[in-house]
Amino acid sequence: MAWLKRLFNKTDTRSLFLLLSILFALPLGWGAMSGMSIWFSPFIMLNSVFVLKSAVWLNILAVIVLILAFWRKRWFCRNMCPLGWGCDLISSSRKGRGYPIKKIPPLGKWLAISSLVAALAGIPIFILLDPMSIFNSFFVIFSQKLAFPILLSFSGLPLVLAINLPFPGIWCSKLCPLGGLQDELISVRDLILGKQRQPKRIHSIRSTGRRLFLVSGAGLLAGLLLPSFIKPAKKSYLQPPGSLPADRFNTLCIRCGSCIKSCPTDILKHHMDPSELLSWMVPEISFKEGYCLENCNVCSQVCPSGAIILFDREAKKHLFIGRAEIGLSRCLLSENKECDRCKAACSYDAILMEQNEGSLQTLPVVIPEKCVGCGACVLICPPGVIEIVP
Amino acid sequence: MKRRSFLSNLVLTSGSLALGASCSRKIEPIPAASGPKTAVSEQGNTILEPSRQIPILAETDVLVIGGGPAGTAAAIAASRTGAETYLVERYNHLGGLWTGGLVLPLLSTHAVDKKQRTRQVIYGLGGEMSQRLKDLGMSISEVDPVVDPEAAKYVLDEMILESGVKMLYHTWATNVIMDDNMVKGVFVESKSGRMAILAKVVVDCTGDGDIFHWAGEQYDEMQYHIGLVHRLGNIDRIDPAKPGYVDKHIGGPTPIPSVNWVNMHGLDNQDGLDVINLSRLQQEYRREIWESVEDLRKTPGYEKVFLLDTASQIGVRMSRIVDAEYRLTLEDTMTYKEFDDAIGISGAWTTMLYKGKRIPREERPLWQIPYRSLLPKKTENLLVAGRCFCFERALVEDTRIIGTCLITGHGAGAAAGLAVREGQELRNLDTGKLKELLLKQGAWLG
Repeated sequence: MAWLKRLFNKTDTRSLFLLLSILFALPLGWGAMSGMSIWFSPFIMLNSVFVLKSAVWLNILAVIVLILAFWRKRWFCRNMCPLGWGCDLISSSRKGRGYPIKKIPPLGKWLAISSLVAALAGIPIFILLDPMSIFNSFFVIFSQKLAFPILLSFSGLPLVLAINLPFPGIWCSKLCPLGGLQDELISVRDLILGKQRQPKRIHSIRSTGRRLFLVSGAGLLAGLLLPSFIKPAKKSYLQPPGSLPADRFNTLCIRCGSCIKSCPTDILKHHMDPSELLSWMVPEISFKEGYCLENCNVCSQVCPSGAIILFDREAKKHLFIGRAEIGLSRCLLSENKECDRCKAACSYDAILMEQNEGSLQTLPVVIPEKCVGCGACVLICPPGVIEIVP
Repeated sequence: MKRRSFLSNLVLTSGSLALGASCSRKIEPIPAASGPKTAVSEQGNTILEPSRQIPILAETDVLVIGGGPAGTAAAIAASRTGAETYLVERYNHLGGLWTGGLVLPLLSTHAVDKKQRTRQVIYGLGGEMSQRLKDLGMSISEVDPVVDPEAAKYVLDEMILESGVKMLYHTWATNVIMDDNMVKGVFVESKSGRMAILAKVVVDCTGDGDIFHWAGEQYDEMQYHIGLVHRLGNIDRIDPAKPGYVDKHIGGPTPIPSVNWVNMHGLDNQDGLDVINLSRLQQEYRREIWESVEDLRKTPGYEKVFLLDTASQIGVRMSRIVDAEYRLTLEDTMTYKEFDDAIGISGAWTTMLYKGKRIPREERPLWQIPYRSLLPKKTENLLVAGRCFCFERALVEDTRIIGTCLITGHGAGAAAGLAVREGQELRNLDTGKLKELLLKQGAWLG
């Protein structure tokens, strides 16, 4: 056991977690394990729980981290954060040089608080600044063809690392909302336990309280006012099954790409509509290579923010992706050819073959209440005349 | 400080309470309401048929029931092994739905082999038939050829005559003769009355699986769409120059230039085993065809087109699927699964979904059919060929097709002949010898 202890002491837990995070973030076909490291971020967990007012079992991981951070200052940063690992590496190389950052206010705290308060009102405004989110969206580039939004998502991590060059340590100590959240946790702890290690800082605590109030107020305002500015997005693309409504989906999705990496039929792609900034990089269904399997809920299992709500596999026939539309003019049956493929492919009994009155032709008809838009018919249709409309 | 800490505590406890109280997040299924079961057309009244002595028409080696593509191939294959073979057919022609049903294309003749090349897969008796039709100039296109029905009836008749099969037209099989779970023969009914044919091996090529149904074998029943094909004449006299002419889909070409065949999907979920239903469909479809051709003839340019014929057999696509020793799966057909007891290889004619992916017809692999999928689980001395052999439903588009029927028919016939020659039970048949025999008979096993 001694050697184990020594090994454990020698091995920096943070570099271990870094290695794991990279493995989880790469598109290695790990299925439900994709992006597992994100589940450890308390900031994402709190935002998600506050927005959805509900939790899933995996949220416990972040709750544990939160509890640890309650007793040990910045426990996550020191033991887990892969982004912090990079920042520290760069900052330590720049030690003594660069601008001092002492006078910069702790923006991270305010970002964290305002985001959480806004989350209670429905919009987690700064969730994308979570270090795990930034870290994971970097790896999206390995699973996708190059495009501008991908580059944008890719650039988050290098940018964060780069600002540590002129301002060593600025991200971790001043900007990171996850770090800020943990700091805030400590001050709350001190408040509760009445620990006044340095009595002269009472004033500072008071002013913190005032700022806290102001920032929460700002967050609340943002949470309440922003939704009316974000136009209730018209459904212009196909969302994964179990997704939140588009406007909330766009704000809660952290763009980690886990669903895209884990989809067994590769139908999830990054949505890229230049005219709708808020929906950049969210997952979108494209029925080119496969369809949404009847007994699969992997995307909902991996979604760490709950933008895709965890659903039961059996519930799939009630989860609406879109609705099939059949271009009957080019349907094989309107040419009296032998075909039954769309009906046979439909697991939801949503396609009926109906004979027109006084005509020989039997043509496929979609029953809108039964069709969930899984895309099986799109895929199988020999002349390719079926499409799913959102 | 007290008020502040009280407030903080309040916020914290209520927060954690809210967290704890919030139920776990998951979308659960809505329990399905059980719908009413479809009524079975069963009439309560019965009458006892008096028992009587039935003359025995013949005691033969192999008895094939049904003269469709599978039955014809089976009878010829069995007869060529030297076995005395009877073939019973209810209509006045061979070829079943291929000829009498006017389902003229011989589908699934080609597929992709392991080296990703598209190649012909239907050989053996099916290959022989299609070659003869080609030689007569009565077949168009190399892949999935469309044949002329009368030419096909002629060719099948010739092949049956050459092989020495004893043919019984206008004869219906009405029941099986059983000894425990062993089929001993079949009762048939015709203008000559009720007769028995005893046989060492019976091959069920009825399409509907009537024989294994009577024998008490287990099976799956499937309701599918039923159609009625018709042919149009004077297609070459359509005048596109006529004012008011519109391009209409009027079926596909046949080897006779002035004739088109028109497929009908027909009504869905139809019971092909219910004679009342079949009769109703027959009436409806014939009227609809007549009226649609009348409409067509009123269209400028199409005045001279006429209804050449409606099919003499209604197109029951699926009914029973037997429970055999092996159930062929979609996975088998998508993964080049090789069987020790393969009796033939069939091809692909339409798009399939496999593991959530689209496999277009051009990329579909060829697939082997094992002898065990023709061998019913419980019944002895019986083989099943044609659209009712054992496969999972996802495969139905490929297994009910003329090409596959020719393959299973050939395999079953050869197996029956071999079992008689070697004096072996069907269940213990030496499949190595069967493969040898099939290869000798021109089959292709990969």
